[in-house]
Amino acid sequence: MKYLVLIVVLVGCSGDIDEQWQLDHDRIIAVRATPPRIVSGAQSQIDTLVGRNGARPTEETPPGAMVVTPESLASTLRFDGGRWVVTAPDEARLAAVRTELGLPPGAPVPLLVGVGFPETAFPSGIPDEPIAAVKTVWLGDSADNPMLGEPTVDGVAAPTTAELVVASLTDIPLSVEVSEGDDVNWLTSCGTMHDFDLPQAYLRVELEDPTTGDLAVVVRSEVGGVAWRVWSIRAE
Amino acid sequence: MKFLRWVAALLVAGAGIASAQPAPEEPAPDPAQPTDPSKPTISVRGRVIDALGRPVRNATVTIEGDTVTVRTGRDGWFKLRAPIGSTLVIDSKTFGTALATVTGDVLDDIVLLTEAQLGETITVESEAPSAAPGAAQLDRKELQRIPGTGGDIVRALTVMPGVVNLQLPLGYSGVVIRGSSPQDSKVLIDGFEVPVLFHNIGFRAVVPAETIAALDYIPGGFDVSYGRATSGIVALTTRAGDDKRSTQAEISMIDGGLLAQGPAGDDTRYLFALRRSTIDFVLPAVIPDSVDLSLTTVPRYYDGQLRLDHQYSKRLKLTLSTIATDDTFELFATKNEDARSKRFYNRTRFVRLTGAASYKDGPWQANLALSGLAQQFLFEAGLYQKIDIRTPTVTPRFELTRTEPKAIGLKDVVWRLGAEIQSGRGAIDLALPVERREGEPMPAMDPEDTSVKFNGGIWVTDFAAWSAISANFDPRIRVTTGVRAEYYVRPDELSLQPRGEVQVKVADHWKVRLSAGSFRRPPEYQSEFLSKTANGERSRQTIVGLEYEPRDGARVQASAYYTDRTALITHNMDNTLGNNGRGTTTGAELLATYRGGPWFLWLSYSYSHSTRVDRPGEDSRLFDFDQPHSMNAAVSWQRGRWTLGGRFQLYSGLPHTPFTNGVLESDRNIYIPINGPVNSERAPIHHQLDLRVDFAWKWGPVAMTAFLDVQNAYMNESIVTYFYSYDYSQRAAFTSLPIIPSLGLRGIL
Repeated sequence: MKYLVLIVVLVGCSGDIDEQWQLDHDRIIAVRATPPRIVSGAQSQIDTLVGRNGARPTEETPPGAMVVTPESLASTLRFDGGRWVVTAPDEARLAAVRTELGLPPGAPVPLLVGVGFPETAFPSGIPDEPIAAVKTVWLGDSADNPMLGEPTVDGVAAPTTAELVVASLTDIPLSVEVSEGDDVNWLTSCGTMHDFDLPQAYLRVELEDPTTGDLAVVVRSEVGGVAWRVWSIRAE
Repeated sequence: MKFLRWVAALLVAGAGIASAQPAPEEPAPDPAQPTDPSKPTISVRGRVIDALGRPVRNATVTIEGDTVTVRTGRDGWFKLRAPIGSTLVIDSKTFGTALATVTGDVLDDIVLLTEAQLGETITVESEAPSAAPGAAQLDRKELQRIPGTGGDIVRALTVMPGVVNLQLPLGYSGVVIRGSSPQDSKVLIDGFEVPVLFHNIGFRAVVPAETIAALDYIPGGFDVSYGRATSGIVALTTRAGDDKRSTQAEISMIDGGLLAQGPAGDDTRYLFALRRSTIDFVLPAVIPDSVDLSLTTVPRYYDGQLRLDHQYSKRLKLTLSTIATDDTFELFATKNEDARSKRFYNRTRFVRLTGAASYKDGPWQANLALSGLAQQFLFEAGLYQKIDIRTPTVTPRFELTRTEPKAIGLKDVVWRLGAEIQSGRGAIDLALPVERREGEPMPAMDPEDTSVKFNGGIWVTDFAAWSAISANFDPRIRVTTGVRAEYYVRPDELSLQPRGEVQVKVADHWKVRLSAGSFRRPPEYQSEFLSKTANGERSRQTIVGLEYEPRDGARVQASAYYTDRTALITHNMDNTLGNNGRGTTTGAELLATYRGGPWFLWLSYSYSHSTRVDRPGEDSRLFDFDQPHSMNAAVSWQRGRWTLGGRFQLYSGLPHTPFTNGVLESDRNIYIPINGPVNSERAPIHHQLDLRVDFAWKWGPVAMTAFLDVQNAYMNESIVTYFYSYDYSQRAAFTSLPIIPSLGLRGIL
């Protein structure tokens, strides 16, 4: 029965709430650790892509962060030079944590980091409801964030430095090359996004939609990597 | 409540309650009837039917040796005062004569046969289930007259007091009784469980009302011959084919079907029905182009029924019945049909085949049935999540009944002994997230979550045996007491479930009923049968009921109940299952019905309060389906070619758990909800008016009927529940369904 409900929801019950592709919405869009997997002694920086109602999405260092689990690695996270930095402990300590977590020898150790913004950091923040996110940094392993190929908008490569201009009342194809298993999100504050969670999406700007705004794409890899790109966009 | 528990203790212990009662006052003799001091005269009701179960009207009923005669009404019922033990002579121009013995205030159905049929003129059908306080029955014609149901069984069930009124049917059966959970009640067709009762689309039952003889609704306190349930029973009985060959067709915006029935020789009747959805032809046209949806297989269903009845000899009757259904849909939540990550596919199908033999010889009656079920539930969501379950099951059942007018100082003694085995092997292939249990907030949807995986086979075998005895302690008091034993092989769990009922006729037209018993259901819902740590859930029910029948066709019944639920299955901290929950339900129900002349009137109201504690030390909370108030008032009037009806519903909204915020889990790109207290908010009260018009006419040799059934005629839009944005920062109301007209056409040749 729930699948019938799913159809009903898909067809006509999403009127008064923002869709997941809507950029014009207060939230943390993604948390990035650079790099997402580090070996002993290496460092990873934490930052976020933040969306705000009525404003451009921005890359920000969260004002608050803490290690959620394991508590024994709480000291690996510190605020240094205006950035949150995770430093992977030495192998002996990682081995002890593996034992604590029941992980096999040599396995990457998940460090769950929580980040948060006070509600006052957002135009429509709910009192006493900070906006929070968690991100896993893997220790004892190495991997980088994905390299985002040149996304295309309406079949044309889209450099981030330029304002994109698209036609109204037309399906505008969007495309990004990703590896199999990567998670893609297209987001916009201008028009309606279709297939926002597929590598090939399309954007359509109706007459009643805002004609200026932003377009963003966020790609998450299977190893915990994150990459994003943001453009200004105008429909005419 | 202490009183109810005290009564329960006495009943389940099988103590001689009757002997503890003050001696009832003898009824005043009716001067119009012959009296015999040794045989007290009582008010007797009975129903006269033909071999196919249809009421026989205008038959005469006379007490043997007397001149007083009454006639049966159009519903086949009669009522008169007669001495216990006297013989009634039932006569009809169309049929032969039948005799019946007065053994109590309500007689078994009296079956009249034509000359062409067998010489035996009295056939006592198998012992009817001991309908409990609060139980009710609807026959086929009544099912089809209730407005707002589209003539459908599932929606007709919502008029029953105690059935939680839902705008969309939920769970396997779509039926929630007395505020518990759908899996706590069983839906039976011809005595055997069916895996689903309704189709995925169209809110239609898997059996059309046209093939149903009657619907019995027992919200609690059911007889020992029923089991594997802790709340109530809905029992559908399919009907035998007519004694005249006929074919009929029906089509509506939801589905269309054919039905053929008739005799096959002197002793055999057949009924065959086939139905296919039509809504799948309509659906694509009403979905806007702007919606990111591809219905690659438009939701559709088929169902079919076949029933053969054969009177092998005077004593032996054979029945073969089968029910089959098949639901399929496939959709992509995108217009890109290559995007397998956004694909949803479902196929649900089953076929149940039941062979039954009923043998009666004097005071003995034996019923033997063998039923086989083949079923498949297949669901695939995206690239990773799936469930494919195939469970062939076989169920042999035997029941023996012995009746004695007098035995061990008691009268009208009925003793029953029965047993059944339900055994099947599930072939299961699943990869799913951890399931949501009752009361748990809806988890975040992660299409890659396959925390629960299983690929293999599991034997599921349950044994049951029961025995019960019913007897009149005196003309006013009838006691039934019995016990059911169940053994669930997989969790290695044996249970004894004592149950009992006392009926006391306190005055003319008034009867008080007390019922209590113990009930259990096996761990078989969702993934329970995979668990090695979960046992069956238990309930103890106590019900007190009052029945008043002021005149023929009119009936008022009220009941109050208390249900104590223990060993409720909940998640442990490590996501395994355990029996740590307990809960209670208290409530009261009222049902008033009138069936007379052109009128059919129905008024039901139920109050219920259902709470539970999931683990020791936790706070009490409401059940998901706690619905304090539910009222249904229906009226139908039939005159000539027209049948007009209306139904008004008023019921409380269901509780729900509010979400206050969500935390982004960035790597999985999902939000983990932060919820408020479980079921701490409730949707507002809902009310609606449903209307129905039927018009019948002849078109050549074809008897035609057209109907218009309108749900929610004044378009009341109330909130059913809320759904939340992906990050739980916003919510919007899911409102009640708008006005829904259903137009249909039926032709019978």
